[in-house]
Amino acid sequence: MAYGYAGKILKLDLTKKEISSIPTEKYADYGGGVGMGAAIFWDLAVEPGDWDLQDAFDPRNVISLMSGPLAATGVPGGGRTSVSAIAPETFPTPLFHRTSFGGRFATMLKLAGWDGVVVQGKSARPVWINIVNDKVTIEDAKELWGLNTYETQGRILSMVGERTRFGEEWHPIGDTYTTMRPQIVCIGPVGESMTRVAALIHGSGVSARTGGFGGVFGSKNLKAISVIGTGSIRVADPKAIVDTRIEHARNSSRAAPMGGGIPASCMPCVNADRTRGSYYGGESMCADQFWFMGDQMKGADVAMRWGICTWATKFGGAMENKVPNAPALFKGRVPMEPGMGWYIKYLYELGVLGPGKKIDSHPLPMDQWGQLSFREAFCDAIARKIGIGADLAEGTLEAAKKWGRLEEDLNSGALRFPAYGASWHHSLPGVDWAYSYIFMSGDPMWHGFMGVGGGGGFGGPATYTAEQLVEMMAAKTVPFTGDPLMFSNCWKGEEARKTGIYSAHKAKMVAWARRYSGFYNESMSICEMMLPNFMGRSASGISGPSPDLEYRYYTAVMGNKHSFADTIEAGRKIWNMERAIRVMAGRDRDKEQFTPFMYMPGATFMSLGAKPIYVDGKWSFEDQADLYLDKAGVEEFKTHFYRLEGWGEKTGWPTRKTLEGLGMKKVADTMAAKGRLGA
Amino acid sequence: MAESKKADGNQKRLPRRNFLAGGGAAIAAGALSVYSPKEAEAASVSYPASTGYIVYDSRLCLGCQSCMFACSMTHEGEANPSLSRIQIIRDAPSFTKYPYDIVMSVCRQCVSPLCVQNCPTGACHVDEANGNVRRIDQSKCIGCKSCINACPQRPHRTIWDPVKNKSTKCDLCADAPFWSKKGGPAGSQACVETCAVKALKLVKETPSQTDVSGYDVNLAPPPKASPKMAPKPPAKKEGA
Repeated sequence: MAYGYAGKILKLDLTKKEISSIPTEKYADYGGGVGMGAAIFWDLAVEPGDWDLQDAFDPRNVISLMSGPLAATGVPGGGRTSVSAIAPETFPTPLFHRTSFGGRFATMLKLAGWDGVVVQGKSARPVWINIVNDKVTIEDAKELWGLNTYETQGRILSMVGERTRFGEEWHPIGDTYTTMRPQIVCIGPVGESMTRVAALIHGSGVSARTGGFGGVFGSKNLKAISVIGTGSIRVADPKAIVDTRIEHARNSSRAAPMGGGIPASCMPCVNADRTRGSYYGGESMCADQFWFMGDQMKGADVAMRWGICTWATKFGGAMENKVPNAPALFKGRVPMEPGMGWYIKYLYELGVLGPGKKIDSHPLPMDQWGQLSFREAFCDAIARKIGIGADLAEGTLEAAKKWGRLEEDLNSGALRFPAYGASWHHSLPGVDWAYSYIFMSGDPMWHGFMGVGGGGGFGGPATYTAEQLVEMMAAKTVPFTGDPLMFSNCWKGEEARKTGIYSAHKAKMVAWARRYSGFYNESMSICEMMLPNFMGRSASGISGPSPDLEYRYYTAVMGNKHSFADTIEAGRKIWNMERAIRVMAGRDRDKEQFTPFMYMPGATFMSLGAKPIYVDGKWSFEDQADLYLDKAGVEEFKTHFYRLEGWGEKTGWPTRKTLEGLGMKKVADTMAAKGRLGA
Repeated sequence: MAESKKADGNQKRLPRRNFLAGGGAAIAAGALSVYSPKEAEAASVSYPASTGYIVYDSRLCLGCQSCMFACSMTHEGEANPSLSRIQIIRDAPSFTKYPYDIVMSVCRQCVSPLCVQNCPTGACHVDEANGNVRRIDQSKCIGCKSCINACPQRPHRTIWDPVKNKSTKCDLCADAPFWSKKGGPAGSQACVETCAVKALKLVKETPSQTDVSGYDVNLAPPPKASPKMAPKPPAKKEGA
């Protein structure tokens, strides 16, 4: 097997209780992570043609937990686990979605000899999977079902290889030894009951949040996967990896809001442990921040134990953004992260939700909304689908629909979910982020271009001109080099259509973001909070180490002859495989729409520094806190984007020429048979 | 947990006899240290002290295990934590609270090295050409595991390589074929260089051998004085 891979992917059919393996080499063109997960999903779930891909809880759903080839090599941030499947959380229908989680599950999986785990089918009764190097068993989870995620992991740890207190001894596994503990991903009660807001939980603070994949585990009667391994991963150039890493650590300049930027990695991960610091990009920072603010950080513990998705159920926070011309609803200020928790408070204050009200809040103690006791009751009600919990278990927009409020609250901007039921998050003013919402299945969770602005994207005065910035970026974005206009965020007037956010130039920026992130972040599984790092802060200039740095890591591990352009092209192939799945599940141009608030003043998320704009032949920086979209402009942009991607302009479906050019003839044939090829 | 004094509030007090005078037998960490004739014998044998030691700060360590990957990569050319001479053991998932959640298991380059003393072939030796670092000559190792059994630390610092059927141990990178820099006590070490938070450090002076406190030391940088360091304002009410 090629360098960087363990060589095989574990395949489990829980209906048949079959354990088998897939040679990783079969999917090497897709890199790893989401790329491989999507290609495997195509082969196992789409190609057979016996399923309409509409029900995330259907036993035919295939959920993949994949590593990338950089995991378990010491490459910083390279150990994330990518998760993909049809996701129950998306609205109005389940969609093919991908997310990822940090920690050390992927690394341990590779040390055990597996590049990923693919699960299909449904067990007749609760089970958990025990992976000890090559030995894989399907275990009875009767004793684990009903336990919270901490209890579950503790119970499994006591069953797998723990005969002494941790840290005291080497443990034998066959003829090998380790001091490590098994790494476990599991669900809590919120996942067991197949809600649409359940996360996969790993350790004490890591979760695969978006998508609601905890419910997919629940639907398969799968409580947990545990893995421990003692093997090796071969790499092409060990010296280069260690040298690059040390150089990276010394020269890191990632513009992180809280002064981070030290590159370690997911096993190794510098944000390794909640007990040793919770901060930006850390295991639980987002859970802490958006579930509980201020001094009530214990809220994250509640969410983690119950296994609820903190992202889908965000309570908002103390932070607010002053937004010019924000809707009256917000009195000129919008909350930082309004989600399910915030929405029910909003309805409570509106007087329509509460004890005995039109929307009965039973059993939630609404008068305790800001307290830990409320969060416990909230999780319990959702997990057991009691009272209002049964509505909330279906997700915020489904609940709003049931309560007859969907249209009104989408139109007022109270429901700030830009597309597919995914909550508001950096979706503007950086339009690459916003557009990715509609072309994917919600939040792209990719901060790569966030720092590309005045002041490094996080405020502060710019020490460089907008022209210097875009010229620097235009040299990095192979194969679209030489077009700085792709970085113009001009959003007003004719210029916005000609060279700004609705133009063909902007289409290149969005396409590059998807190709780069599809390969390096989602398939090589490098933490996107660490790389890319485009902006430098050294005396030598404003250019950061990306994308050269990640390419150096890639070649040091893989040792192949691919150029950087080849890796971006591989990203395009991954992007088109995801697209093909979505199209087969019903995606077309008409469905790629933003919700109304994105076309209203106040649509912009927290504004982090000024964006470069090109107006009347000149570059400058502009504070865009008041940016919002124009519907006709977005439609024009979609046409530009589909054209660039080689997708039908009327449908958004990939053409045969595009797919065959990527070596995906078989995919094109299947799509043609269903009448879903673009023209 | 037994290794770390900081990390074990319930550490048993050692019998006084374990703190032998005259070079101090390297019997460090309490609970599992059992006095034996071997130790008495070791105490009577004199070895030149290593000119370098890796000390660490278990409160500063983030448990990222970067050092482990760097160790196995530079020595073996492949990534395998089980072959790392340094072991960072996290109670992950972290059910044990800070700072008891991490055990740093680093070879102490003992003043009286029982691994050297008990090696029947001389494979485990004091390398005088490399600052007296205690290391294992793989060509002489017969895989008897005497050095592993003799190591008084828990977990033992000598490592078993199940593929080669030989023991190995930390050599301060004196012989790390995939390390670009000069290693050994006079050089630099992959684990130290890779640590993102500087929780590992090479020192020249021999740490106290009596317990773990000589090795698990405070490496935190002094706090920077900042005009911004003012008392925090009261937290805003959530959801306001």
